Amino acid sequence: MATEVKLSHTAAIILQAIDAGFVYGFSIMEMAGLPSGTVYPAMRRLEREELICSRWEKQSIADAEQRPARKYYKLTAAGKMTLESSRKRYPLLERLIPSEEAKSV
Amino acid sequence: MTPPAESIFRVFHLSLLGCAALLVPSEPRGEWCREWQAELWQVCQERTPAGGFSWHGEREVVEFCLGAFQDAFFLRKRGWQDRSPFTEMRGSAAQCILILAAVSCACYAVALLSPRVRIERSLSEYQVYPGLVLIQDTDFNGHSLPAITPAQYRVWTASRQKYFDRLAFYRVALEPVSVTPHASKTWEVARASSNLFAMLNVPVQFAAPVGRADRDLTSVILSYSAWKREFGGDPQIVGSIMRVGSCKARIAGVAPEGSWRLPGKVDAWLLEPDSSFAHGSAGYVVAHLTSLGQSELWTSSVQITSYNSDDTEDSLLGISLDPGSSTPGAVFLFAVFLAILALPGTVSVSMGEYSFSAHPQSWSKKLCRWGFLGVKIALLLPIAYFASLDLTYSFTTIYSPASVMIHLFISFTICILGFRWAVLDQRQRCPICLRRVAHPAQVGYSSQNFLAWNGTELICESGHTLLHIPGLETSWFSTQRWLYLDTSWEFLFAGSGK
Repeated sequence: MATEVKLSHTAAIILQAIDAGFVYGFSIMEMAGLPSGTVYPAMRRLEREELICSRWEKQSIADAEQRPARKYYKLTAAGKMTLESSRKRYPLLERLIPSEEAKSV
Repeated sequence: MTPPAESIFRVFHLSLLGCAALLVPSEPRGEWCREWQAELWQVCQERTPAGGFSWHGEREVVEFCLGAFQDAFFLRKRGWQDRSPFTEMRGSAAQCILILAAVSCACYAVALLSPRVRIERSLSEYQVYPGLVLIQDTDFNGHSLPAITPAQYRVWTASRQKYFDRLAFYRVALEPVSVTPHASKTWEVARASSNLFAMLNVPVQFAAPVGRADRDLTSVILSYSAWKREFGGDPQIVGSIMRVGSCKARIAGVAPEGSWRLPGKVDAWLLEPDSSFAHGSAGYVVAHLTSLGQSELWTSSVQITSYNSDDTEDSLLGISLDPGSSTPGAVFLFAVFLAILALPGTVSVSMGEYSFSAHPQSWSKKLCRWGFLGVKIALLLPIAYFASLDLTYSFTTIYSPASVMIHLFISFTICILGFRWAVLDQRQRCPICLRRVAHPAQVGYSSQNFLAWNGTELICESGHTLLHIPGLETSWFSTQRWLYLDTSWEFLFAGSGK
């Protein structure tokens, strides 16, 4: 399924952002430059299509940092394959959100 | 920011999220609220300065919260779709046609059940003879008054007429009526020429053959309402004898419901020979124009001059009884014509088939696309026709001038909105599979309009196409464009990242 999925620009950017290490909603918004009304519904779709999955952060970690617990997203195996396919279709994707950037922050 | 102001803004942000949460289905609502509140905390940290105040920052936080409504609406819509047995058909051309056909059938069913619409439709089958006019006073100003005396009528029938070949007289008065010897009531009775119903071409229901014993009796025809009211709609009453005024009359039948379109509210018609109209009050004359007379009937009325025996003249007016262009069908066709004329003023009639590259489409695909548009319009027409009849006759009476105008207005409104929807819907259908493109995403910023395109991107769920609709029209991107996800896809992006 994954290789056959044809993603819109938005969905491809979100997958790339998650792969680059921007793993919760606001950070994805910031990186993709997309409004919240576009990013969150797109993430619901990607999660439904099992390209990404989510989990809640441990409360103890959030308490230690004195903030609410976040919901983190990560790519599934199918999501990784789809992203690879999308990168071929959207060669500018990696230039827009390089994985190294997240790692270096 | 001062602590009270900060608290007020926090309450406002949480209120927005709370309102959006009401749209979310109850099952995921708790987790949805938790995620958005956690994200809101993060946005506030990033956008509003600690211990200070920034309008720009607050605006960004509010914009973030407003996005929650789109997310909530998306989840609500998905919840409905999951429960729908037609999920696979969602957005397809077949679903669109099925819905239109169902609405069309529903409108038709309502029209069948509506008594007024049923009367209007059944009576439209009775053709009024062309050239039939009602003769009345020229002082007519919307209210008909009886103006022809019986003496005048007798002179007309006795003399050879150049412009008329048939005449019938009637006058309406309150008269005592009794079916049984001891029960008498007062009815509105029309004493009319015996050929009146034949001239009006109104079929009489339950007409019974005249027996030898009743041959000399006058015939009386009951109105549908009097028949229902006084006799409980019993067809066996036809043929029985009743007393109207001072004479005995035999009930010859019942006039169909709503068939009486002439002035005067009538409970029964007493059909008498013309010789009986020697004296009495004035009435109306129904006349049939000869071909010479019809050539004078330019509009819905004709001026008539009557020459009396004492060399005086009476100016009269003949009002055409032919509904002509005011039948529901004719009114609807006129409304459709007006809607077609007005359509380009409300929406661009372009089908929006521009694409980023020259993408040849097969004739069969083009035919399917145009055929689908044709089917949509063909299904919209009965919806508009029956819905306009249902709405018109739900609050107007039949044959009233107001009903014609209201029918025209409602038909036009439904047609123009329907045609507009058909065109707009067509533009958002994938040219390959005719499925509606979905998942709109806002791309770019309006402020960067001259640097890069901004607008809405939609995708065909079957993966055939992307549709780009510009947010602001520019000289280089003024209309929507299709991006075909096949050969042109590779052509557009080949090598740019390698």
